[in-house]
Amino acid sequence: MALIEVKNLVKQFDDKIVLKGVNLELNEGQVKVIMGPSGCGKSTLLRCLNLLVQPTSGQIIFRGEEITRPGVDVRRLRRNIGFVFQHFALYSHLNVQDNVTLGLRKIRKMSAREATDKAFHELERVGMFDHRNKYPAQLSGGQKQRAAIVRALAMDPVVMFLDEPTSSLDPEMAREVVSVINKLYLENVTMLCVTHDAFLAKYISDSIIFLDEGVVLEEDIAERLFYDHPNPRIREFYLSVVDLK
Amino acid sequence: MTGMDPFLHDLIVFSPQILAGLKNTVVLMAIISLTGFFGGIAVFYLELNGNKICRKMTERYISFFIGTPLLVHLFLMYYGLPQLGIHISPLAVSVIGFTLNVSAYNARYLMTAYNGLDQMELEAARAQGFTPAETFRSITLPQVLRLSVPSLTNQVIQNLKDTSVAFLIQYQDFFAQVQEIAATNFEFFKAYMMAGLVYLTLVSVIVVAARGLEKRIALPGF
Repeated sequence: MALIEVKNLVKQFDDKIVLKGVNLELNEGQVKVIMGPSGCGKSTLLRCLNLLVQPTSGQIIFRGEEITRPGVDVRRLRRNIGFVFQHFALYSHLNVQDNVTLGLRKIRKMSAREATDKAFHELERVGMFDHRNKYPAQLSGGQKQRAAIVRALAMDPVVMFLDEPTSSLDPEMAREVVSVINKLYLENVTMLCVTHDAFLAKYISDSIIFLDEGVVLEEDIAERLFYDHPNPRIREFYLSVVDLK
Repeated sequence: MTGMDPFLHDLIVFSPQILAGLKNTVVLMAIISLTGFFGGIAVFYLELNGNKICRKMTERYISFFIGTPLLVHLFLMYYGLPQLGIHISPLAVSVIGFTLNVSAYNARYLMTAYNGLDQMELEAARAQGFTPAETFRSITLPQVLRLSVPSLTNQVIQNLKDTSVAFLIQYQDFFAQVQEIAATNFEFFKAYMMAGLVYLTLVSVIVVAARGLEKRIALPGF
């Protein structure tokens, strides 16, 4: 059974249909990357999957439970999904350690001691331990994103959603974040990642979903998608974004 | 006491009443600053997280109390309500009237600060599984309060100055005692200059405390 199964998902904002019947599956331990041109619905799809955005129609099945039916426990669902945002979204009044422990204490109901131990362990995992007392305004972009990844990871989610995790970083900082995500990939953390970054997509994905105008046009491994794909729309897109020398 | 300035002489004679009035002023200011602070937070919470009707009502409440003079509320309660058989003491009228007024202003300050918050942080909290109440307590309120310190402390200063209108509903505050001295010796200039200096001294204490608080809660990196 797939961890996440999406069937014919539609999302309409006023008169604009952003998702036009998306189907996808994600299994436990798998990492899939969603790519596609700007405005094709990638981020909307990710937000629909944890119900930050309410889908218009279609089905989302998470661990065998249909979460698009009325009366679903949205908070329970979200507690199982770690979400990493493009612009980090760290709580700016809390230092790195407190950003990580807040959810552990309030949501996972851990004691302060347990939460701190867990935070230390996770911060070590991504090389952020030495920055634990810094506030978001004192961190570089790469450090902020690593802290945001730790915050999500510390909650022991079933799956991690990453929404353009490297888009607002310069290349050097982006590499820093890619190496952390790659480490999670090697540790078999289940992930669904939206990105424009072909380098990230290649090094962390089991397969890539190509989304265009609200529909899944293709799903394949990076090598087959990136180079000389028979579909001209896909070929054209990757010619513009791929530089993997 | 021969040769002593008559005003100074009256000041010494009236000093027990003046000190009692000063105490009443400080007590009223402290009470309304506290009740107005918590009232403001409550109204702000309802405006953010209440249902549609609740949000509409809080918006009207704020507009009404910001849009009408405080003195009208105080007179309405102190002189108007007895005609309906409801009698309330000057202190109670002052506390209720000021609290309703100050809460409206404070709620507006908090809402202004809220509009400057990074909304992504609130989305991150939702994505993490926080309830609206938990998000308010742990993320929204600490940030909004920090951003609002200058406005909220200015409101405390305003509260102190506004307590001087309470003498119009027979509350025996500092200004009421100053009026009494002035009416006794007709030294209006000296009496009101003295009142001004006392208020300025109290305001200076609040300003120093407020700046200290601002420094204390400033975040590194900002």
